[in-house]
Amino acid sequence: MDALIQILVSGLTLGAMYALGAVGLALTFGTMRMFNMAHGVFMTIGAYAAFSTVTYFGAPLLVALLMGILAGGVIGALMHLLVVQFMLETEDFEINVLVATAGVGILLQDFLLKVYGGYPFSQPVQVEGIFRIGGVAVTYQSVVILVLATVLISALAWALTRTKFGMAIRATAMNREAAMLMGVRTSRTYLQVLIIAGMLAGAAGILISSLSTLSPEMGQNPAVRAFVICVVAGLGSVTGAGIAAIALGLFEAAIQYYFGVRYGLPLMLALVVVVLIWRPAGLFGTQEVVRS
Amino acid sequence: MTSLTTIQKHLIGVLMMLVFMAVVPVFVTQRYFLGEIIVFMIWASVAVQWNVLMGHAGVFSLGQMLIFAVGAYTAAMSMTYLGISPWAALPVSAVVAAAAAFVIGLACLRLGPAYVALLTFAISYMVYVLIITDTACYTTVAGGCQRFFGGTTGFSRLEDLGFREMLRGNWIIGNYFTVLVIFTISLVASIIVIHGRLGLAFRALSDSPVYAAARGLNRTRSQLIAFVVTAFFTGLTGAVFAAHFRSTGPSLFDFSTLLFILAMVIVGGLRSTWGPVFGAAMMMILVEVAKGMGDVRNTVIGVVLVLFVLFLPKGIAGLTSRLFNRFGSKPANAQDPASGAV
Repeated sequence: MDALIQILVSGLTLGAMYALGAVGLALTFGTMRMFNMAHGVFMTIGAYAAFSTVTYFGAPLLVALLMGILAGGVIGALMHLLVVQFMLETEDFEINVLVATAGVGILLQDFLLKVYGGYPFSQPVQVEGIFRIGGVAVTYQSVVILVLATVLISALAWALTRTKFGMAIRATAMNREAAMLMGVRTSRTYLQVLIIAGMLAGAAGILISSLSTLSPEMGQNPAVRAFVICVVAGLGSVTGAGIAAIALGLFEAAIQYYFGVRYGLPLMLALVVVVLIWRPAGLFGTQEVVRS
Repeated sequence: MTSLTTIQKHLIGVLMMLVFMAVVPVFVTQRYFLGEIIVFMIWASVAVQWNVLMGHAGVFSLGQMLIFAVGAYTAAMSMTYLGISPWAALPVSAVVAAAAAFVIGLACLRLGPAYVALLTFAISYMVYVLIITDTACYTTVAGGCQRFFGGTTGFSRLEDLGFREMLRGNWIIGNYFTVLVIFTISLVASIIVIHGRLGLAFRALSDSPVYAAARGLNRTRSQLIAFVVTAFFTGLTGAVFAAHFRSTGPSLFDFSTLLFILAMVIVGGLRSTWGPVFGAAMMMILVEVAKGMGDVRNTVIGVVLVLFVLFLPKGIAGLTSRLFNRFGSKPANAQDPASGAV
């Protein structure tokens, strides 16, 4: 019983963080067919922004959290305005944008390394303390993670289904030309999507760093997981990414509990490959099957 | 113009390059510069193969450094554990790398391009994590703990290619020509693939996928062949890398190394034939110059990648062919539809 609770608690915590990272990525791909290789660095930037707000300005935790999320949004906007918007109409957009965002990623990571150094800091934006469910110790931080992820993802779901700009995003994702004919300004929609994805990544970065440490390359591991989650869900499926993130979080927690932390990611990936052989478009994907 | 003469023309180019590279050690005698040229040839060989795969076959693999590492690790491990000579390890490593690519390709290549990129990236990251988290000692080498896959330290003090005994102080010349031969083989193989039957199949598939499929071309199968063939030569290059440096380690999996090679391909020009060679030379020189300004290697790589994708998506190869067109004279191989450029 305790084992089950332990797996559930750590699995849901992992899943919630993965979901925050993966949903933004899926939204970007679904709307613009753009895969953001800098997504992991967006997480790192959010984490460092929150860290700096507390360390250098002594701001309260909530302000730091908001600053981290804001920093993610700003960097997303900047990337759209400085790089992505000029590439939208080019041929081979899918490949070119992958290369360009990878370039942006290494640039930003190097920048963070120059500013903060490679020394791993601990994230001050977190809640201390534990309580017990049965015989299992649960940190307040994992409750914070669960609540924050739920709030942010619900807010995104509400925005996508109920607000005008959210519907514009979904319309663009479904059919860009038709959306333009209906008066949607798609370039502004793209900007909004990258801001949202950046904000979610920033939040994910703060939460992830609160469980481990801050370092310039901390974003790589969660980004790889987010990639895998998006692929298994079917690229571009936002709901699918959320569900797959929780499922893979639970799966990974179980693996870590029974086999050791080392095998979490590899076995998760093996599962993903099996899923893809069975359903090449991902669990929730509809297109992307290549015939012949 | 038949495709045979296209190949011949490129082979003459290879011959000229070979002659040029063969006389370089006569004028360049400092060991440092020769070492840099060796590194250039190693990366150029990887970039050339990657260009075949990404530019021509349309397989957007981000797992090329994994394949390279499979070659390097197989060489290091077979030398350390089985005690075979580096020369025997070269072909063995190439075959193992090709086999690894076959398995990865079977799992990935039925998917769309973005999926292939992400999965190959994720698989290399997974292998990296498995290697560096390995802590159990397999044997003891020179009093130290040797992990089966090398752990965080990798393999070092491997047997050298034998030139230290033969050439004494000039051993690097021996390594230079060994690497040059492998680079040339890799380049010739890429030319044969690009301008041969397989390249023709890829051109047909990218011009009109439906018509090509209707004529009986199997996209996945052609891509799998390209994946395995390029992996063979990438793995071979990885093995000679391990043999030259007499060591190998998990730093091969660094994201910055992957992007460094990717930058060579992009700067040189995707879909060209010779682009990656020039791209590799340019990136090597650029990073070498940037060394004088402090630790800015990764910044340079990032800036170059972004700038080239934004302003010169066809790379140097695209630029030179555009210049030729502007001045009215035909580029040397303008009739060659496969190269599209240099």
